[in-house]
Amino acid sequence: MKQRRIIAAVGFALVASVVAAACGGSSGSGSEGGTPTKGGTIHILSSGEQIAHLDPQRNYTGDDLAFAGSTMHRTLTSYAYAAGDDGSGIVPDLATDLGTHNEDGTVWSFTLRDGGTFEDGSEITCADVAYGVSRTWATDVITDGPTYASSYIDAGDYPGPYKATADQQAAYDKAVSCDGKTITFNLKVPVADFNYTTTLLSFSPVPKAADTGEKYDMKPVSSGPYKIESYTIGKSLVLVRNENWSKDSDPVRSANPDSFVYEFGLDEAVLDERMIKDAGDDQFAVSAGIQPENLQTIFEDDAFKDRRVDYYDPFVTYTNLNVKNLSCVEIRKAIYLALDRDALRKAGGGPYTGDFADGYIKPALALDYKKSTLPDGLNADGTANVEAAQAAMTAAETACPAVAARARDGLSFYRPATPVWDKAVAIWIDSLGKVGIKLKDEPVEPSVYWPTVMNPETDYDIARGGWAPDWANASTVIPELFSTAGGFNLTRNADDPDYAEFQEKVDLAKKELDRTKQGVMWQELNQYVVDRLWALPGTFTKAQSIWGSKVGNAYQWSPFGAYNYGDLYVKS
Amino acid sequence: MTSTIDSVREDGVSPTSTESIVGKSPRELAWARMSRDKVSLFALGIIITYLLVAALAPVICAVLGISPYALDGDALNDYGLPKGAFGGISTEHWLGVEPGTGRDIFARLIYGARASLMVGILATLLTTTIGLVIGVVAGYKRGWVDSIIGRFMDVTLAFPSFLLIIALTRPFTQRLESLGVPEGNPARMTYIILVLGTFGWVYVARVVRGQTLSLREREFVEAAKASGATNRHIIFKQLLPNLWAPVIVIVSLSLPGYVATESTLSFLGLGLMQPAASWGVMLGDSVRYYRADPTYLFIPGIALVLLVMAFNLVGDAVRDALDPKADRQNLL
Repeated sequence: MKQRRIIAAVGFALVASVVAAACGGSSGSGSEGGTPTKGGTIHILSSGEQIAHLDPQRNYTGDDLAFAGSTMHRTLTSYAYAAGDDGSGIVPDLATDLGTHNEDGTVWSFTLRDGGTFEDGSEITCADVAYGVSRTWATDVITDGPTYASSYIDAGDYPGPYKATADQQAAYDKAVSCDGKTITFNLKVPVADFNYTTTLLSFSPVPKAADTGEKYDMKPVSSGPYKIESYTIGKSLVLVRNENWSKDSDPVRSANPDSFVYEFGLDEAVLDERMIKDAGDDQFAVSAGIQPENLQTIFEDDAFKDRRVDYYDPFVTYTNLNVKNLSCVEIRKAIYLALDRDALRKAGGGPYTGDFADGYIKPALALDYKKSTLPDGLNADGTANVEAAQAAMTAAETACPAVAARARDGLSFYRPATPVWDKAVAIWIDSLGKVGIKLKDEPVEPSVYWPTVMNPETDYDIARGGWAPDWANASTVIPELFSTAGGFNLTRNADDPDYAEFQEKVDLAKKELDRTKQGVMWQELNQYVVDRLWALPGTFTKAQSIWGSKVGNAYQWSPFGAYNYGDLYVKS
Repeated sequence: MTSTIDSVREDGVSPTSTESIVGKSPRELAWARMSRDKVSLFALGIIITYLLVAALAPVICAVLGISPYALDGDALNDYGLPKGAFGGISTEHWLGVEPGTGRDIFARLIYGARASLMVGILATLLTTTIGLVIGVVAGYKRGWVDSIIGRFMDVTLAFPSFLLIIALTRPFTQRLESLGVPEGNPARMTYIILVLGTFGWVYVARVVRGQTLSLREREFVEAAKASGATNRHIIFKQLLPNLWAPVIVIVSLSLPGYVATESTLSFLGLGLMQPAASWGVMLGDSVRYYRADPTYLFIPGIALVLLVMAFNLVGDAVRDALDPKADRQNLL
């Protein structure tokens, strides 16, 4: 899933000697103790202008998935509502169990629970789930969402429910078939952990009659314990109890507070200040992320010790290099070696930014992680190795003079226009300048940063990336980031001479059913990409958060690196 | 003393005929008046220091072995904040270091002065030149020329200039870049100067026009006309030398305004960009650190306040000295 907090996290690497397990870790997972009480209002303070997408099939950012999933959108299966490693396990949600599959994992079936209803009181049927999933195919309307459903499910050339011909719809209905309360998915490829895929909100039910296409984003129909009372972009989102939801049909969600108020558009500095002050309604508030300048204030003062957390989130940050423009590994290596990753890390808040990454797979993915070998000459302490970089640059002059000339002339550097990045850019320019590589700074409004760089028309040379696995399998990392079919490939590596070989290896790894063998294949592919430097590994990130003194259960939900919003309660 | 001279001159008696103050040109008189004002002299000293420091910034940095761009991670603690009290002030970094990067604040401050003063001075030159020309033409020609120019000035004044500056930053900077101005900060700086010039000349032009209107009726202009002088001669030889007093006053008051505007724009992220040093960039950055590192906020703030105040004091003093009718002592 994409990283939402693109404000922070610019630093880079030293491999973590101890990384708490399972996507996130438990190095202080939040406020403990006390019996959850019902009632009250939880406030969520945000510097964003809106939730990227409330439409379940379009929601794909860690924080928003955690929020919408735990309050409004039920899925067939869900991550467990628990702190620490337990949160990475899955439990049945809309379904009665974790699904059953045939021998080779190509046919998966789930049976819906009794009593699940939408906010209007109508029952959630198998058809609603099938319809919801089918929207994934309509990528012209349902943008930005994960594409696992459409890449796994064998629905031929199905274009989504809006444009499908009768034949195409029939093909889909065959691939995703309903038999009473049982929904069956026929997959193109064996997927041993498809019941993890179904935790994504892509697998949320949508009543066909209520589907307004693109506009559904503003007022989706709730299947969970809360429904939207009001939603104004740039101002607020208010969730109130969905009276038609019953705890009997939903053993997962605790639904403690009476309402949630999401406040948008706050200045980051003001936001932190309010959290530090902890006055009035802000005592019932949570916020995601702390600005680097406030870390010392919060982490050096014991007054905050019960309402702060510093943990490994599931994200890895890295820098995409446009392989089409920088079609020469020497130049990519020169950039990597010249970069003062230590200075970048300091600008982002020092060790609180995270550890220098050695690849794109975080150690938390224990089966798929193996420390990869980084290019020769890369300083382990993150400082620049100007000599080695200079040597790589000289090699580039010979190997690919045109690309080297381009680098001397100026590479376009697309980055979010935030204060932290203003500094980071200065470091980039200073670092690369030492080996004669120039950068053209292109600040982009943070809210449109991803859409801008994902637009194939945008001719960047360098663009940042931040990614977390969608579930504990690097099949949601390597193919997503580096395969042309992947949902977040910003490296434009399709023309690289090694791409065909890479894609072949990816296809093999995806098909491998033996999870241990598959893990080794991902490890090798991780190394394969690191060797080619299609992207520069950045940081295995850490994140920090602060919450109000009257908020209970403010733990970080490890799969998302965000609060489990639905599990919060107001302390009496 | 001043009042004596003035009253004498007001009476139309030539100053040279008064025994006590022989042989002083208006310039000398003005300087004599100004030099009695110790505060404005001090302010003038500050301005000269700023100008020298700005002009010599690269030399000063080279001598001290500092640079506005060099990163110094060793001066930062684990949080990326300056080590030591008062924003890391030390013998190595006289005014401390910038949080996050460890760049030397003193070096950035004097390079910032360079950027800010350059924008201020160039914008002032531009507005003064345009304003002077248009003002003289309008005032001297009168009639329909004056009417057209007058309406045009009214329209320009009515424009919500700051809003326009903000709105046009992006497209105009890009246009300048496509016209061959180097990308990035040179283009942004050019834009700021041009746009300040576009809106700023009106203030100069209005004053100059008013002065010209009154001057052209004076006897010496009449005399020049009577002896067959060309318009060109009258404007350049008769009118302009008598206009420089009000113009200097406007210049000294508008220059700090432009410096402040540049800082405001950079603060808003529309002026100069990182890694360039400008006071606005520094202020914009430092606001975030007001809790962790307040010193960082005060340094560029004080530098800006000091410069603007010095210019205002000198501007007031120059006005008092050149325009004795407005002399405060005289009014008392």
